[in-house]
Amino acid sequence: MYGTKSKIDLAFEYQTQAAILRPSIHSRRANLTVKFQDLYGFTVEGNVDDVNVLNEVREKVRQQGRVWWALEASKGANWYLHTTIGQGSALTSSLKFSALANAITLKKLIRKGIPPVLRPKVWFSLSGAAKKKSTVPESYYDDLTKAVEGKVTPATRQIDHDLPRTFPGHPWLDTPEGHAALRRVLVAYSFRDSDVGYCQGLNYVAALLLLVMKTEEDAFWMLAVLLENVLVNDCYTNNLSGCHVEQRVFKDLLAKKCQRIATHLEALEFDVSLVTTEWFLCLFSKSLPSETTLRVWDVIFYEGAKVIFNVALAIFKMKEDELLVTHHVGEIINVLQITTHQLFDPDDLLTVAFDKIGSMTTNTISKQRKKQEPEVMKELDQRIRRLNSLKMEGK
Amino acid sequence: MAATAGHNNLNAKLVLLGDMGAGKSSLVLRFVKGQFLEFQESTIGAAFFSQTLAVNDATVKFEIWDTAGQERYHSLAPMYYRGAAAAIIVYDITNADSFTRAKKWVQELQKQGNPNMVVALAGNKADLEDKRKVTAEEARVYAEENGLFFMETSAKTAANVNDVFYEIAKRLPRAQPAQKPAGMVLVDRPAEGSRAASCCS
Ligand SMILES: Nc1nc2c(ncn2[C@@H]2O[C@H](COP(=O)(O)OP(=O)(O)OP(=O)(O)O)[C@@H](O)[C@H]2O)c(=O)[nH]1
Ligand SMILES: [Mg+2]
Repeated sequence: MYGTKSKIDLAFEYQTQAAILRPSIHSRRANLTVKFQDLYGFTVEGNVDDVNVLNEVREKVRQQGRVWWALEASKGANWYLHTTIGQGSALTSSLKFSALANAITLKKLIRKGIPPVLRPKVWFSLSGAAKKKSTVPESYYDDLTKAVEGKVTPATRQIDHDLPRTFPGHPWLDTPEGHAALRRVLVAYSFRDSDVGYCQGLNYVAALLLLVMKTEEDAFWMLAVLLENVLVNDCYTNNLSGCHVEQRVFKDLLAKKCQRIATHLEALEFDVSLVTTEWFLCLFSKSLPSETTLRVWDVIFYEGAKVIFNVALAIFKMKEDELLVTHHVGEIINVLQITTHQLFDPDDLLTVAFDKIGSMTTNTISKQRKKQEPEVMKELDQRIRRLNSLKMEGK
Repeated sequence: MAATAGHNNLNAKLVLLGDMGAGKSSLVLRFVKGQFLEFQESTIGAAFFSQTLAVNDATVKFEIWDTAGQERYHSLAPMYYRGAAAAIIVYDITNADSFTRAKKWVQELQKQGNPNMVVALAGNKADLEDKRKVTAEEARVYAEENGLFFMETSAKTAANVNDVFYEIAKRLPRAQPAQKPAGMVLVDRPAEGSRAASCCS
């Protein structure tokens, strides 16, 4: 599909895939599982209803595109790039007002979704990637990839091992061209930040970034801004301490915001991190359908990592009734897995995430993280000491 | 202890540990679905599967945690092996480092794991004889010294895969009244057919 093209042209994909999505006559029988390709070329399994939902999503995406174009027409191209408020006193109050109004419009608009054709441009500027890139020489990425070409490190070995294991079967990612692009992005990043090097999970994140951003270089900068500015520190470094912190913060939030579920799961001795760790490390890319994942990312890149908590809580919240009648680990996991895999309509999830969870500010989350950090560090430290004492005894 | 009996049904939590790419997910997929994928997605965090086996007089329902192998994921492992009745430590016979890694897991479980845990050592990718780096003899000696049972397996050809799980099922301590069912609950409904597994990845 994408194989022979040097750039991933998604606008083109939309037209060609419409035919694939029309369920065949045989699959119209109820509950028959069909395989189909979603908006970003992933093969998904679902029943005919799912196919219909996906077609509706496609239509909503088109409508949302029209909304964005209309705004460009009335407010000027790239209007959303100038919404940062409170900068400089030189702004007249009327200009300040219009910036504020734009910021409010933009927040709502982004929660409703960025049209896939605009995603590369909007993500790149709003996430801070453009700014990050502008602080280094134009040739930074090219120089970096050239400089590290042919170098072998533990990270490059692990990357090579994971290339064919990253979304195998995807029509572009799983081609020599896709592998090569993903390899360059991951290898370049492993040299940019040797504390991170390569962490499994980043392969899925970078792969989706490539599909969205279309150029490797932009995908690289999105990965950089994500790890360096958007997500909690040390999410992917040596002992994943940042990820441990997020898990503790999440458990507290679940207890607060979904008390009944938290109590029930605790009674079953089910630690929610068993499933949520993957959500946090892969940013849902391994669990939610691609367009739903990217709708979540739309908001993450604008509002920050707190969004991951909203979405994770929403997944539990949506299935409260079902979760409360589980009495077994396997059942809990089945409920969560089936739910995430079938969330083809992003609005089903995002409505709950933003309207039913109650507001959480980045500030509250930061405070919670600060509170959990010492505990996590202590625990990880004790663990390392225990393991070291094992080593001593072993000798 | 960690396996709990209800009538003739036993529920047992089982965890797979081992180096990245050793074939943990492939072994589970072979056991649970009878499939093999040339390129198996790398596991992040862990994946859960369940599968029921009939052994002699009882059925054993395994709740399987297939963990991520990369070194830095090590810090998540206790969450998965806590309360486990059994563990399969997997290494790749074509990769000596993965055997070293396996030994570290053995040590850790001996110290931190449930003392009655049934531990198996699986030398996987046995179909790749020409690339072998770890001899079966070396591994067998090590396993004997450490009270593990050992098998070479191939998720690709299916050789010995079911056998590892059967052997574990047979060795699980039973008939002891469960003192503290850690993370386990009794099942009182009939177990699903032995091939009807629910799987999650
Ligand atoms: N020839 C051969 N290849 C195997 C065998 N088992 C697994 N593989 C291959 O080895 C690679 C890694 O297998 P996985 O099952 O994903 O390994 P893993 O231990 O789960 O790896 P992580 O999830 O990264 O920890 C895959 O490409 C498999 O197809 C085997 O018995 N023989
Ligand atoms: Mg795996």
